[in-house]
Amino acid sequence: MPSLAELQQRFADALYAPEGAIPAFAVAGAAPAPERMDIYRRAIFANYRKALAATYPAIRQIVGDAAFAAAVNAYVRAQPSASGDLNDYGDTFGAFLAEHPPLAALRYLPDVARLEWAIDEVNRAADDAPAPERVLEALAAVAPEHLAGIGLRLSARCRLVSSAYPILEIWQARASDETGAPADAAAAMLAVRRDPDGIVIERLPGDAFAWLAALASGATLARAIDAAQRADAAFDLGRTLHSQIGNGTIAAIVEG
Amino acid sequence: MRQDGRQVRAAEGLSENALTSAAGRTVRPADSSSAVDRALRGAAGVGLRSPHIRKVRSERPAIPWLEVHSENYFADGGPAVAALDDLRTDYPLSLHGVGMSLGSADPLDRAHLAKLARLAARVEPALVSEHLCWSGIGGRHFNDLLPLPYTEEALAHVVARVGEVQDALGRDILVENVSTYLAFAEATIPEWEFVAELARRSGCGLLLDVNNIHVNAVNHGFDPDRYLAAIPADKVAEIHLAGFDRSGDYLIDTHGAPVAPEVWALYARAIARFGPRPTLIEWDLDIPEFEVLAREAATAQAILDDSHAIAR
Repeated sequence: MPSLAELQQRFADALYAPEGAIPAFAVAGAAPAPERMDIYRRAIFANYRKALAATYPAIRQIVGDAAFAAAVNAYVRAQPSASGDLNDYGDTFGAFLAEHPPLAALRYLPDVARLEWAIDEVNRAADDAPAPERVLEALAAVAPEHLAGIGLRLSARCRLVSSAYPILEIWQARASDETGAPADAAAAMLAVRRDPDGIVIERLPGDAFAWLAALASGATLARAIDAAQRADAAFDLGRTLHSQIGNGTIAAIVEG
Repeated sequence: MRQDGRQVRAAEGLSENALTSAAGRTVRPADSSSAVDRALRGAAGVGLRSPHIRKVRSERPAIPWLEVHSENYFADGGPAVAALDDLRTDYPLSLHGVGMSLGSADPLDRAHLAKLARLAARVEPALVSEHLCWSGIGGRHFNDLLPLPYTEEALAHVVARVGEVQDALGRDILVENVSTYLAFAEATIPEWEFVAELARRSGCGLLLDVNNIHVNAVNHGFDPDRYLAAIPADKVAEIHLAGFDRSGDYLIDTHGAPVAPEVWALYARAIARFGPRPTLIEWDLDIPEFEVLAREAATAQAILDDSHAIAR
């Protein structure tokens, strides 16, 4: 008799087989096995379509229900869920869309998806209450000769998303960008943040985005300033520092 | 790194909650919250879903208790978790998990379990339940309630897994019977015996879904009253009611319709046999206005109240 693990493996393989396919395990009684298996096949894909439609409403509206359903069905087969928590599923949907032939011509689509995933993530992030005064105090307490070597930690409620396409406008309009061409080289440099009264999407100048992105990847303040100045030689550290501490994006300093 | 942090916090929560009796046996918090259990015993609640959260938070309808899907509150923070923190001040809560994959031959997902433990420590639910099913194998998840082959091997496996979960949470859980659309030829144990034996061997309580019993009775051709007769009354700690849809020869447990007349009748027979039990209305597809759920709960309440009257 096949073991529990074997039976479950065969059931799992049958789930991803086309509708009507005969499963490689025996079903009790005179029941038509393919028909019964189809109930599960339809249910799991419908479940994923519903879940990802909730996470990616703009993608669904842009491509339409049929194309969205086909994309999700293909995504589930290519990159199955690895978690019993459905809320964890879908982080790579954007990257998948770039390689999904029917939608690959919509070049901006993966970046819109990354924006929607960022919104989803910050909605589930830890509630570290903004405390700008504390960060400023801690910064003031650092000896001047050590400042270059410190890092700055971004709030868990913040994500940075950039794109060569005007994804914020596309996301807001939730309609197809007919041209599919980049509007300009720095069309979207965005900070997605969950504030106490909801999600805020802030458009950043190139230098400030480069500075935050460097800090988010663990760079020291000195290296982050270098990155910002490469984007714009006139980078204003003092102003950017105060605004990003003030709005809660920078949550803490990290001693070098 | 974030996973480790979760586990540490969850473990701390457990040590605070686990009480040790004079005999040295671990007393589950379920025992210490028996006042809540008693309050819920004859009460019909509603499964809280996202379209109703805002309304329930602002209007505080007179519903005796609420049940939520545990995983939807696994987040580190944010509006969903804040809503639950708020609601628990006015409503006893039940955490109903859909993703523990109790019956899977894969190792138990410790990170998933730690998130459930963290949530339970945070909201102190009156009840914690999971499903008698599996959801993934070989690391691949399907995020659905998949059918078990009812064999001795599967029974021993689920008994051990329920034990692992109960030990990690420091409390007894309830396990719910699921709707199924196929049965394995290898099965050697009727579903009702499997469910009853699981409760006896693992010490878990049962969350008996009366709609699922009806759905399975039709899909597999058995007598639902035979099922009820096999279930030990003292193990039944909660009852679920929901609506099904018909698809050809099969009943599909969609949770997308009112409770059917034949399910109400089966429910009344279940309450007559088991006594009043906390009862919950579930609705997950084409979710109607909250008042519709409240009316379904009121119908269940009337049946519970009748049984009280008869008992007196």
